Amino acid sequence: MAAPGDAMHIDRRTLYATCGAILLLASSARAQETRAAEIGAEQAKKATEVTPYEAGTAERWAVAIRREFLAEPSGFYPYFASVYSGGGFTLGAGYRQFLGDRTHWDAKGLYSAKSYKLFEVSADSWGHAQDRLDLHGRVGWRDATQVAYYGLSIDSPDERSNFRMQQSYFGGDPQVRPGGFTVFGAGMTYEDFALEEGTGNTPSIEEVFTPETAPGLGVSPTYLHTTASGGFDWRPSPGYARHGGLYQVTYHNYADRDNAYSFDRIDGEIVQHIPILRENWVISLHGLVQTTLDDEDVVPYFLLPSLGSGSTLRAYPSWRFRDRHSLLLSGEFRWIPNRLGIDMALFYDTGKVTPRWDDLSLDHLKSNVGIGIRFHTPLATPLRIELARGSEGLHLVFGGSAAF
Amino acid sequence: MTKRNHVAAGVVFTIALASLLPSAAPRSATMKFYTDDPLQREPETQDASAVQEWDIDLVWDLAENLFGHPGDSTPDVKARNVNTVDEVPDSSWFTNRIGVRPVSIEEAVRGPLTDGGPAPGTWSVVGAKEAGFAPGFTMQDPRGDRWFVSFDAKGFPDAATGAILVANKIFWALGYFQVENYLIRVRPDQLVIGESASVTPPSGKRRRMKFGDLEDVLRRSHRALDGSYRAVAARSVPGRVLGGFRYHGTRPDDPNDVIPHEHRRELRALKVFGAWTNLVDMKAGNTLDSLISENGKGIVRHYLQDVGSTFGTGANAPREYDEGWEYLFEGDLAWKRLATMGFFLRPWQTVQYADNRAIGRFEGAVFDPREWKPRVPTAAFLRAREDDTFWAARRVMAFSDDMIFALAETGKYSDESAAKQLAGVLIQRRDKIGKVYLNAINPVSNFALDADDTLTFENAAVTAGVSDEPSGGYVVSWSRFDNTTGETTPIGSPVATADRRVRPTAALPSAPGSFVKIQIWEKRIRPPATPQVAVSFRRNRSTWTLVGVDRLPPQ
Repeated sequence: MAAPGDAMHIDRRTLYATCGAILLLASSARAQETRAAEIGAEQAKKATEVTPYEAGTAERWAVAIRREFLAEPSGFYPYFASVYSGGGFTLGAGYRQFLGDRTHWDAKGLYSAKSYKLFEVSADSWGHAQDRLDLHGRVGWRDATQVAYYGLSIDSPDERSNFRMQQSYFGGDPQVRPGGFTVFGAGMTYEDFALEEGTGNTPSIEEVFTPETAPGLGVSPTYLHTTASGGFDWRPSPGYARHGGLYQVTYHNYADRDNAYSFDRIDGEIVQHIPILRENWVISLHGLVQTTLDDEDVVPYFLLPSLGSGSTLRAYPSWRFRDRHSLLLSGEFRWIPNRLGIDMALFYDTGKVTPRWDDLSLDHLKSNVGIGIRFHTPLATPLRIELARGSEGLHLVFGGSAAF
Repeated sequence: MTKRNHVAAGVVFTIALASLLPSAAPRSATMKFYTDDPLQREPETQDASAVQEWDIDLVWDLAENLFGHPGDSTPDVKARNVNTVDEVPDSSWFTNRIGVRPVSIEEAVRGPLTDGGPAPGTWSVVGAKEAGFAPGFTMQDPRGDRWFVSFDAKGFPDAATGAILVANKIFWALGYFQVENYLIRVRPDQLVIGESASVTPPSGKRRRMKFGDLEDVLRRSHRALDGSYRAVAARSVPGRVLGGFRYHGTRPDDPNDVIPHEHRRELRALKVFGAWTNLVDMKAGNTLDSLISENGKGIVRHYLQDVGSTFGTGANAPREYDEGWEYLFEGDLAWKRLATMGFFLRPWQTVQYADNRAIGRFEGAVFDPREWKPRVPTAAFLRAREDDTFWAARRVMAFSDDMIFALAETGKYSDESAAKQLAGVLIQRRDKIGKVYLNAINPVSNFALDADDTLTFENAAVTAGVSDEPSGGYVVSWSRFDNTTGETTPIGSPVATADRRVRPTAALPSAPGSFVKIQIWEKRIRPPATPQVAVSFRRNRSTWTLVGVDRLPPQ
């Protein structure tokens, strides 16, 4: 504390600083005698404070996420997908590395709430031959620990059993778009299955079923799975569309190494989106027929055409109905609260599985109705939440892709 | 301190204090009008050479504007860059052209163009197009000039390029800095790939450009029957390119950028100009700042670089139906549609468009200027007041029918009906803008007080043909204005006039430097009367100079 006698003793530096401030104030007051000077003073003041732009936290995160996943797509990424239908929520991660402009290899892994596991290494190369040819190849291993089996026929009781399916695979497939909307595809995959007792709370399959009621029970076949497909696809994207359609036929040949369980199957699929009033509403229709070609062939229970899941009969659990032939018809009335990201839908699914092609008629169908909300991008549907009601009650569906 | 130091300090202190004493001139801090009002040019006093390049991320830009409500939250703030007569001074943002000085049709049609475009000969492609969705590339002509080339999308001849060419001239005439856009024909055999040309493929790894990359661009572009490609070549802007600008806040490293962009009138006015032309894509990426040298110091010039997102077409196809009518996301609309199963309809769902692929979805019959929206909320638009939109509407109305037809012709549409259709819609939308915004506030304008104290003025709405004279004429009151205290003293009694020519009932002050304030009301029965407009004049030796126009309270 200063003594009373020191009150008038002002430090010289302080005095000059005070004088300087007074002069600055004075010059500032004088400067504002014109409008230009007033603005100039404001600019002069800012000139003493200029600083490079610094993004805030939210902006830095947004930029980093975009750069990580879009601008520089090589590297690690989170991965959410289905290991196998009925596996529940999954968490996963992948690592992608580009080898060329449009060629990358990709290693990814998934683990689901029901301990389903998937490891896959793939290579994709697309946009060749003036954007007409895409090539894909993959090798992987899948472990589905408690896949449901309810027996054959559309009338199978709601009594679930489980089996465990492990699948090793490698193969590849080219896709060709020769022009217009035509699409052709072919593929060949080596698939080695190992079937075991199921885990979970319900009985294992061999406790309930026999090879007569579960064809191929007890065997673990190895296949060379060959496919060929052709059709027309004029949807903007398979992952999300409000107009366009798909008309496609796919032939499958499952060649068992021992030839005991070889079979052929044909899938016919139609998707048609009918926009109404500038896509304010969309009627979306889906038809899918899967048929085993030769009645003499034995199709293992785990490869039979099936209905029940978030993309077929949505009020029924995955794999609820299995048999040699299947028919699915779905219709959706969609409305679009926001074209950028939100769709709603009322839907109706109906279908059946049958042991014989001749039985594949429009009577004695299982049906359900439901309502859903979808969060989408222009090309994909990363989240679909649906509530469906069928003869066996309500079913809540969470999906990571379009229903069809 | 020594005695000598005490004396020196005392002298300095005394000088400093003396500088604060009142001078003979009135204290400027309380003045309403300065000696240089109204300002004709916004000063840029500081050297901005140290300003740095920045890249405004597209995703962040969209997200911030859609969900973030950026900018000053104070409501109803008067534009801060207008001068005292409610006009926008010329600046590095804006140059007064149409509506302020005569702009001939020839001048408007020429717009920002300075020569004939890229020099003929072999064009060297020096880079891929890094922004936007339209197919294109960057090239260098034999003169060494650099050009940004963009093509019409496959299946949509003339659409994207026509929009760029026409909008380029419109926005130049309105006063914005524009790049020079020239219509060119590109033949693949005149293109070579430059040594330094590079592209960023989907892998994200930048590499040297190959001819296949060029083929990819051309494959996505519309090819004419003779094998050539119609394109627009945009000349690179002078100076050092710094990136875009935001429609809110200021650039922190530009010392001259002291007015938040949301409070700049010429940016607020884009709400009206955008509605007129359907300029929906207001992202920062469509703007461009460049550092130029002016009077020996660095100045940041601000361009509306890409105004091609106009009329009814986008870069690759016609606009989405809801563009111009809704933001990309509006929560309340989403809820209404969700709850009503889509039966909550909006006009865009039923409006009819003439079928023309070159123009796309652009119409004027159902268009409502107040309802028009860009893709995302734009901070400057959200702050626009009636005086801003009035200012903008006067400029829109300054485009005559003949000028609009001539500007539409600059699109060089191969289908002659396209230019006519475009001009017709622009005229329809122009008239709606005039009707809405010129009548929203008291539209008296163009004030003059002559040497014998006769006040004349116009009615912008009547001049534009979008309103009749007010049924009860006008009432004008006069007062002396004290520029130091802001006090007013009535002069005579209010006077009514029907012909917008009126004299006061008592003498006005004649001393140079004195001020009068004149308030003008419209007398309307219906619709409700608009607020008064206050205009101020400063007496010179024998004449009056308009120094103040107040249409609305500052806040």
